[in-house]
Amino acid sequence: MTKISCRQICFIMLIYTAVSKFIIYPTYLSYYTGRDLLFSALINFAVQGVIVWSVSYLCSRTDKTFFGLLKDTFGNIFARIIFGLFALFFLLATINPLFEQKLYVHDIFYDTVPSLMIFLPVFFFLVYASAKPFLNIGRCADICLPLFLLSMLLILVMSLHEVKFDNFLPVFTQPKKIFSSSLASVFRFIEPAYLLMFMGRFRYKKGDAAKITISYIGGAVFVLVVLAAFYGIYGDVAPTRHFAISKISLFFPAIDLVGRIDLLALYVLEITMLFALVLNIQLAIECIAQCTGYENRAVLSVAVNAVFFLILIFCDNKYNAISTLFSKWMWIVFLIFANLIPLASWFLRKKNEED
Amino acid sequence: MVTLDKNIKGVKSVLTSEDIIVFEFASLSGKKFASIYADGVADKQLLGELVAKPLKDVKEDDTLEEIKKRLASPEVKDGDKIADAIKEISDGNAVLFVDGEKDFFIIGLKKPPGRTVAEPPTQVAVKGPREGFTEDIKTNLGLVRKRLKSDKLQIKTLRAGKQSDTAVALIFIDGICPDGLAERVQKEIEQKSVDIVPDSSYISQFISKKPKSLFRHNGSCEKPDIFCAKISEGRVGILVDGSPIALTVPYMLIEDFQAVEDYYQVSYRSTILRILRLVSLMVGIFLPAFYVSAQLFKIQLIPYRLLLKISSSVSGLALSPSVEMFLTLFLLEVLIEASIRMPKYVGLAMSVVGALVLGDTAVQAGIISTPAIIIIAFSAISLFTTPDLVETSTTLRWLFLIIGGSLGTFGIVMFTAFLICYLVSEQSYGVPLLAPFAPIIKGDLYDSIVKSNMYALNKRPEAFKAKNKVRIKER
Repeated sequence: MTKISCRQICFIMLIYTAVSKFIIYPTYLSYYTGRDLLFSALINFAVQGVIVWSVSYLCSRTDKTFFGLLKDTFGNIFARIIFGLFALFFLLATINPLFEQKLYVHDIFYDTVPSLMIFLPVFFFLVYASAKPFLNIGRCADICLPLFLLSMLLILVMSLHEVKFDNFLPVFTQPKKIFSSSLASVFRFIEPAYLLMFMGRFRYKKGDAAKITISYIGGAVFVLVVLAAFYGIYGDVAPTRHFAISKISLFFPAIDLVGRIDLLALYVLEITMLFALVLNIQLAIECIAQCTGYENRAVLSVAVNAVFFLILIFCDNKYNAISTLFSKWMWIVFLIFANLIPLASWFLRKKNEED
Repeated sequence: MVTLDKNIKGVKSVLTSEDIIVFEFASLSGKKFASIYADGVADKQLLGELVAKPLKDVKEDDTLEEIKKRLASPEVKDGDKIADAIKEISDGNAVLFVDGEKDFFIIGLKKPPGRTVAEPPTQVAVKGPREGFTEDIKTNLGLVRKRLKSDKLQIKTLRAGKQSDTAVALIFIDGICPDGLAERVQKEIEQKSVDIVPDSSYISQFISKKPKSLFRHNGSCEKPDIFCAKISEGRVGILVDGSPIALTVPYMLIEDFQAVEDYYQVSYRSTILRILRLVSLMVGIFLPAFYVSAQLFKIQLIPYRLLLKISSSVSGLALSPSVEMFLTLFLLEVLIEASIRMPKYVGLAMSVVGALVLGDTAVQAGIISTPAIIIIAFSAISLFTTPDLVETSTTLRWLFLIIGGSLGTFGIVMFTAFLICYLVSEQSYGVPLLAPFAPIIKGDLYDSIVKSNMYALNKRPEAFKAKNKVRIKER
């Protein structure tokens, strides 16, 4: 795995944190928590932010990779097993975003609902991009940052004027639901797991932990603003509106004159979303490679994407079931891999005997 | 003792062509000489002035050293092998044999026919120098020397092409160019064996790690001022005899958005023009594909009033939007190709036939619509704002049109992501093709899409890892 820079990790934390939560997450939160959706999201972001800081601070204490830490503490076999489990985790973490992507693409790119076939060519891209060396992740993030910022700027400018802040009052009407929905949304928050994989892959300099955490907070702010815009515009009917990011700019007065220019911004944002999907698959491939010792990324990429291809074919219309499965049952898996293990990594042996 | 006849026969047995001229003359004392040269390539007048005339006073017993001293030519080399003599004659120089001597002199009289220094057609500048490279490598080297008088300027001459034996010059500045870069380029050129090298584009493929790539991996220019500026940033320049196009490596994609005038005018204006070029390129590549996919898959992309106009234009059209756009683009490509190949005096007639007869009647006949023609024309004009990228961008326009017509805008977005993924991993001699954007190189961003003023560019581009990084400093 080639080294990436701290700046690129910051970009990943900023962009991919945000774009992975723009599609169904706002609808889901507004359905379960109504006007308190911001608090629910805030809880998730606060918890994750602390873990992100914890893992990035751990990077200042060791220059080993996560695999190296596991190997030095528990031995090679155990490290391989854990990485095998992480590979499964990243594969699992890709399923929901992949289905969300399919639905989102069908909604914003086509006037009529097209067949699944029109989405399947995405696998050509995924196979190609996932097979690329790790260095690509960071460089793609470099390119994605201006695209993300420009498109978000346009979308937010087109949407914020329609926000009615009285939609958020009164607050804390169902405090229990805030926490339960936070727990059910845990499967959307896997950034600390990304950081575990980046450990030892970048040269840590003083202050990098703060930079990474601030970038994560930046991503969180974008999500919170979109959530606020979404609920502020739609209010009580928000749960019936899917694909929030594409719905918030619909009421821009000049659309009649200039057309749906927000769609152009959404298309640019889609590039970033595709790369966010690639990141999960690339990390899964990386974990498989570490676990099995098999280094041919092209073969691994074909194999992993073939699995997703089959899942997509056979579960085409089962998004609701998949979403329910993840929010009701899978949260425990995500809690372990994206929260507990990153925190527990502090207890691994950080220095060699001779150090 | 080697007679003059033996030497002449030795050369003529290999160079049997009739344009190889043997000029035999003698001094007043009777010492015989023979000069052999290729007619039309060597300068006969200089041969008389600098060689024959000074040798008239040579005495019968003068040694080779004494004869050499009498020669007025500034470029005289010694030779002793007939093979060398043959090579030099083929190259345009003259060889002087002395009766009774095995050794000979090689006299630099090369003066191949060629055009004079003129403004290059592809890099026209309103402000700034107007000189352009010619097909003669010596003239081109002179143009470079004229601008780079540094004692650190290095020129390495290589030979490429088994039959053409073309001279290739590697030019770099010692102390700025990174160690080993020139050697790497030299190795790449020397490793390839080809019959002839008629143009630098052959060398361009030799030095590229991925010659089949849609994107080139080396820069090119026709102007010595640009060439020298690039060399002084740490690149290696390549001049090929017979080609007015000079090459430079390493290369970054952003170079094609930087026009020569950007450096001779106010930086704000340059920045605006660079943004304009980038936007034009995007429009040129994406517009036809977006237009087709909007019509076929996402009509909301088109503003309502414009949609009404378009619908009135396309109603009753016999062809589908993608076939219509395909046909129009094909027509444009045919027109461009024909206008380049046809003699100039037919050009006007062809413009009338192409633009008026074909275009107008096709619209009236309901085969293609007016918006399609406007879009293709606008796309074509837009692409020519970055002339160095035209080959790539026109191919991409076709690809995007095919994808947009079959998969819609999602196909366009996906293919764009694919291109980004491809480009971020590409390198030219260790320099990322998308630098300074991926990876971001902060210092180099000042001369990317944004063009800062000269004082902000006080460092050489970091991407090239130049040995001497400082470009401007206070004295």
